[in-house]
Amino acid sequence: MKEINELNLPENLKYSKDHEWVGVEGDVATIGINDYAQDQLGEVVFVEVPEVGDTFDAEDEFGTVESVKAVSELYCPIAGEVVAINEDLEDAPELVNESPYEKGWIMKIKVADASELDNLMDKAAYFEMLKG
Amino acid sequence: MPFELMDLGLVDYEKALDLQQQYVTQKKNKALETDMILMLEHPAVFTLGKRGGRENLMVSEDFLKEQKVPVVQTGRGGNITFHGPGQLVVYPIMDLDRAGMGVADFVHLLEEIMIQMAGDVGVTARRSSANHGIWVENRKLGSIGLSITRGISFHGLALNANVDLTPFSWVNPCGLSGVSMTSLENELQQKSPKGSISMPVVKESFVRHFTRAIKST
Repeated sequence: MKEINELNLPENLKYSKDHEWVGVEGDVATIGINDYAQDQLGEVVFVEVPEVGDTFDAEDEFGTVESVKAVSELYCPIAGEVVAINEDLEDAPELVNESPYEKGWIMKIKVADASELDNLMDKAAYFEMLKG
Repeated sequence: MPFELMDLGLVDYEKALDLQQQYVTQKKNKALETDMILMLEHPAVFTLGKRGGRENLMVSEDFLKEQKVPVVQTGRGGNITFHGPGQLVVYPIMDLDRAGMGVADFVHLLEEIMIQMAGDVGVTARRSSANHGIWVENRKLGSIGLSITRGISFHGLALNANVDLTPFSWVNPCGLSGVSMTSLENELQQKSPKGSISMPVVKESFVRHFTRAIKST
């Protein structure tokens, strides 16, 4: 397990209390699980992703991640409609561990309400939350 | 963090699952503050992980029917496994977010408790870097398979005390080939033919180590 100060938490992303990350470009948000979550879960063996066209409210369950240790639910940080899913995860779920912010992204959604992004944390605030 | 340890005795798998789900729902709705730690044994049953594991069953379903051992699909992590009398099963329905524990921290804590329990009766168990669970050399003594929903854990651990190990030979345990299963009693009998273990002693050991581990987090 990594120490909190060893975690890779890019500055340009937003973070949810459930350890997802959100990267915004225009009105599309890319969502995945962050370095803390992948480290805690350990080797990911399966990612259950939603389908393009599914819509979620903030905090809705949108999928699950199964690791050698546990099955954990994924929660949508902000409301939106799924416009893309990472199909590579079907054959290579370990991308979530190896590259959580790039090759291991999970889905992209069209943001329903951009003001919900304000409810998410920046790196500093998320770091403080982890430290408790 | 308040918690309550319950000794439920012998409980059918599905009945225990219902009970867990009731507590999980109550905790999600904030109607139940207390973490509920269920200790029990199951009548003989094979359970499959979320993504199955039936391919690791080495005997026919007809054979299992004759042996009166059902196969139940579950939503936990992990692969096929066997539960039966003489195996201590613990389902901790705990608010991990409140405890400030991630999944890895919690798994580590449960593994540590099982290692200490084995140590209590003179069996040296350890983690394995290659596989999860608790091992005595290359023999698996205890398993962990959790689900996490809204920060609440359910499913849990299984430690072989004096369970009949025969049914484990009908599967590749947890999808691993080339490993064998063991129990505390089996390990003690390697040292002395009269070695034996009793479930009340194992439960008492769990309560003691769990209580100490939770109080120190």
